[in-house]
Amino acid sequence: MGKIIAIHSYKGGTGKTLFSVNLATTFALKGKKACLLDMDFRAPSLHAIFKVNNVECWLNDYLNGTCTIQKALVDLSEISGGKGKLLVGLANPSTEAIRDMSAKDRKWEMRALGRLLSLRNSVLDEMGMDYLIFDTSPGLQYSSINAIVSADLVFVISTIDASDVQGTKRMLCELYDLFEKKTYIILNKVLMDISSKRGKEELSERLGNTHTLPIFEIVPCFCDILKAGGTYIVAKEKPQHFFSKMLCHMTEKINHL
Amino acid sequence: MEVMIELQKHGKTDTENFADITAPLDVMTLLSMPDHLRKTAITVCRLGRATAEEVAQQTKRARAVESAYLNQLVLMGYLKKERQGRKAYFYVDKENKE
Repeated sequence: MGKIIAIHSYKGGTGKTLFSVNLATTFALKGKKACLLDMDFRAPSLHAIFKVNNVECWLNDYLNGTCTIQKALVDLSEISGGKGKLLVGLANPSTEAIRDMSAKDRKWEMRALGRLLSLRNSVLDEMGMDYLIFDTSPGLQYSSINAIVSADLVFVISTIDASDVQGTKRMLCELYDLFEKKTYIILNKVLMDISSKRGKEELSERLGNTHTLPIFEIVPCFCDILKAGGTYIVAKEKPQHFFSKMLCHMTEKINHL
Repeated sequence: MEVMIELQKHGKTDTENFADITAPLDVMTLLSMPDHLRKTAITVCRLGRATAEEVAQQTKRARAVESAYLNQLVLMGYLKKERQGRKAYFYVDKENKE
């Protein structure tokens, strides 16, 4: 049975899209069938990363009820070199579409939740995908919470920034726990050397009460990835990179969750 | 809850008489609900349309408990109830009016 994963964060710029794209690509490279949806309707980014601009239907159209999910998915399986499958649902990046999505009412959001919940049946059961990944927008927003409610697992990407850590801790108690979601934290852009005792202590000190946090992975800050600025997919272009190897390890762990 | 008290004040207890009272069951509403009702409401959202028995199977709570919570959600305007023979089905009315 497939899994639905929501990638979320308290603040923006933590690395949600980097993880979503590379995680979906890693799954495909390992021969799995992955489907990635851009749920950040206020700042869409997957179209730029995958360099796809002309699509028949956007994810916005699916949530508006004007097309099926199959029509809103773009097949990018060639990224995996024929090993696996990668389908991507893109959010419409036009200003008009962003404005339109920002002005939706509660009734529309309720229907959107119903459509996201139905993806378990259409994408996982009928299309036979192994993983459905939601790349969400940061903070408490309708589209993100809809994705969280529809997911089996939630990965929260947090930096070691004090406000980010505090906000993430608050969301653990006041959001994910309320929906009884299996939640895991990925600490990203960590500057401390956690292989040393001093580095570990420094990190614990920064986070406070680390034993209460469900930390899934601690990812160091990779300058070359930051410099690349999303111009290429690390897991695909640099399979020997430490980040790609970490992702392989993470996909194994996710399989067993 | 206030809706329920208000309805009881008027001596009305049959949930099926209040099919016209509706409120959108969106995620912000779910977040603001008490834990016991949220669990029931999310289960109905997932199942689409379900009996108290089917909801109880998912939540691992007693059918009678779920039946009470479901009827409470109907009174609050978040769910609709429809009878088919001896069975009562609960669902989210996606076409409702605020």
